[in-house]
Amino acid sequence: MPTHPQAKPNFRNLFWYPFKITLITALRTFPLLGRLFPKRLGMGYHNKSHPEFLDEASEHRAKGRAKYNDISKQEFAPDRVTSDLFPTLWKPQTVQYPYERLEDMEPWLFVPGNYNGRIGIIWETCTACKMCVNICPNDCLHMTTELRVDVLDNAEGEYDGYGAELEVGGYAAKFREEVAEELESFDLITAHTAPPSEWRFAQVLDLSGDTATVRWNDSGQEEVLAQSDLRTADDQIVSGRIDIGRCMFCGLCMEACGFTSFFMTNEYDGMSGFTRQDLWFDANRTRVLPSVHQEAVDGELAKRATKERDKRAKAAAKAAKAAEEGA
Amino acid sequence: MDDKYDLRSLFIGEESFAHETITSLLEGTPLEESSSAIAFGIGTFAIVNIVFLLLFFSQFAILWIERKAVARMNDRRGATTALRSLWVGENGVTAGAWWNMLPFGLGRPVGAVNKWLNNRFGNASEYETVDRVGNRSWMGLSIFPGFFQNVADGMKFLIKEHMVPRRADKLIFEVSPFLIVSTTLLILGMIPLSSGIYATNPDLSILYIIAIFGIAPIGVFFAGWSSNNKYTLIGGIRSAAQLTAYEIPLLLTLLSVAMLTGTFNIIDSVHFQHTAGAWNIFLMPLGGALFLITMIAEVERVPFDMPEAEAELVEGWWTEYGGMRFGMLFMAEYIRTYAACFLFTHFFLGGWHLPFQGIIGSIPYLGDAYLLIPGALVVLIKAWLVFLIVFVWARFSLARIRTDQILEFGWRMLLPLAVLQVILAAVYRLYLFDLDGMADTVYGGTAWDAFGIPFLVPALTTILWLAIFFLLLNDTGKNERAARMYHVQTVQPAGTHTPGQD
Repeated sequence: MPTHPQAKPNFRNLFWYPFKITLITALRTFPLLGRLFPKRLGMGYHNKSHPEFLDEASEHRAKGRAKYNDISKQEFAPDRVTSDLFPTLWKPQTVQYPYERLEDMEPWLFVPGNYNGRIGIIWETCTACKMCVNICPNDCLHMTTELRVDVLDNAEGEYDGYGAELEVGGYAAKFREEVAEELESFDLITAHTAPPSEWRFAQVLDLSGDTATVRWNDSGQEEVLAQSDLRTADDQIVSGRIDIGRCMFCGLCMEACGFTSFFMTNEYDGMSGFTRQDLWFDANRTRVLPSVHQEAVDGELAKRATKERDKRAKAAAKAAKAAEEGA
Repeated sequence: MDDKYDLRSLFIGEESFAHETITSLLEGTPLEESSSAIAFGIGTFAIVNIVFLLLFFSQFAILWIERKAVARMNDRRGATTALRSLWVGENGVTAGAWWNMLPFGLGRPVGAVNKWLNNRFGNASEYETVDRVGNRSWMGLSIFPGFFQNVADGMKFLIKEHMVPRRADKLIFEVSPFLIVSTTLLILGMIPLSSGIYATNPDLSILYIIAIFGIAPIGVFFAGWSSNNKYTLIGGIRSAAQLTAYEIPLLLTLLSVAMLTGTFNIIDSVHFQHTAGAWNIFLMPLGGALFLITMIAEVERVPFDMPEAEAELVEGWWTEYGGMRFGMLFMAEYIRTYAACFLFTHFFLGGWHLPFQGIIGSIPYLGDAYLLIPGALVVLIKAWLVFLIVFVWARFSLARIRTDQILEFGWRMLLPLAVLQVILAAVYRLYLFDLDGMADTVYGGTAWDAFGIPFLVPALTTILWLAIFFLLLNDTGKNERAARMYHVQTVQPAGTHTPGQD
């Protein structure tokens, strides 16, 4: 969750909780109090032993200094840790970002909703009008198309079956079962990489009965598969790339968007990398609007499916009328 | 009830020790005629100086309290410079052979003592010091090293150069620190340590304090203007706006204190709290909260320290001051804070009266010992606790508030609440107060009893305001979800306008 459900600017969060956490932090540093109220104040703060503290070499070195500082007789607070680089140097450890996040540990802290953070785009409602691309002062936005399974082609349940049909020369996609679990636990918000690819794409070579002959894009191998295993894919779906390294988070793109598809989220995470290439965000890395995104996608799905349903109903009516007239 | 320890009677009055000594000394001399006046002068001089020095030097305690409390909150040990380091060094080396600077040949014996101390108690290796600093098992045990750190800081300020910025308004630049510091020190003149230890006690001392408290902001604005620096100017203007906004609720709160206690005299208002039977904090918790909030703003401490916001204004209106002038401004700020703590103690926490004085005082032996605790000590401890629990805790819990929010909070929240408090004070005094219940005994009076139930008015008032506080704490459902996760705020709907062209 980018913002914790409890993170609201009310009296409790703005006034009382800061006082409370400051008091607890101060009081637990007294060993007596920390031990008397371990659950309230201590939280494992005053420990007698810390086996993970030292590697062998450091332990040896520490023994040599026992004359001045006998660590075996000391209490250690677990939020003082050493590192592999400087085993004898203890540093205060507060939040182990990015492995821990402040919002999870201290949920009363919050990033304001109007903070211009990481860019989030609802590609399903994007019409490729390029307003955002034109307004961007730094030229970070790039409009492209990509091979993807359209939202309607991937629909299940109520709107299933309104998508495009497989056709020879077109593209098909098969869901990769092996990433299902990883995708389930993948956190788009904190991840510094794109999520694993959900689909395996292939070109449709032949369709016969219930089966389809496809050539996998990744391997070039041909394979015969049941058509029910495949989804229709399209290589002309609107997409874009963002050079987040050039972005100055002015938010003009968000303001320019006429379809409420472009957002500056209040998310500050997941925008770093080790190379400049890492800062090129493809479409998958801009889907960081969990609830808004889902709502918009569902709305778009309903819209398109209704349109398709009406279209088919009209076509059916027309065909029936033609058949009637013909008869 | 008067404090048992009446230091003033030793120095002032016909029967005082000072008067008798001086008149007997001057007997038979040409000054015999005016010996009474001379005794009065000397006695006054002595008591004024004693009270001032007590107030001034007890200030070291609050600096130490702040440093150590903050260290706790930040999980550090705080200032640990020990006096010991003046003579005890490492590897046989001390902190400079400073004794060589001593005059009259004192250097040799002092140096010899130091060398002996170093050999006897010094560290054999610098690792010992390094490890002691990093040794976390000290946490919670040693808090006293660092008490005199402020003396070292003051020394440092004293030997620094004084510089006036080019094209500054030199006269005003030089005058304003003195304006600030002198008016701040004048506040201390009116603050009693107990009914027997005070410098002076005019009838309208609350009015005097209000007046003298309001002069320093002018000096602040002068300082900000005369430094010829945009940061100081912005800081000075912010300070002027903020201090003006918060002085009015502060004055109204003090007015409600004066209305409730029926006096403009600090000592009388403390006496009233005891003789009527309840400390003011239990009769007007709202007034106490208002007083503390406005005082935090008046002394420009976090969260109301926009005038000297380091993140944006370097050091605010005192950016250009260096050396001892900076030190004095810093000191003045802490004296104002300290004065605020004393005033809160006197106006709301019953001054030098002990908590549960009547009940504990009636226990045999133990009660007698309890009543022997000097009033000045009670006042000091209360003031230190107010500083620790309110000023320090707030400073390191809350974030700095934006200037417009500060002003809005002051004008639109505090001012109406202060007016409400004035009305409440009038209602309490007129309708809930029973003059016959006043009693200047160890137990105190029963003026705030209603329907024969002891402490009914203060108890109900306190419970009411505590209930309001807890209601505020739970004003929104904990599990209620935000309506929308991302607040995309635009005045016009996106796509209906061209940004920058309308």
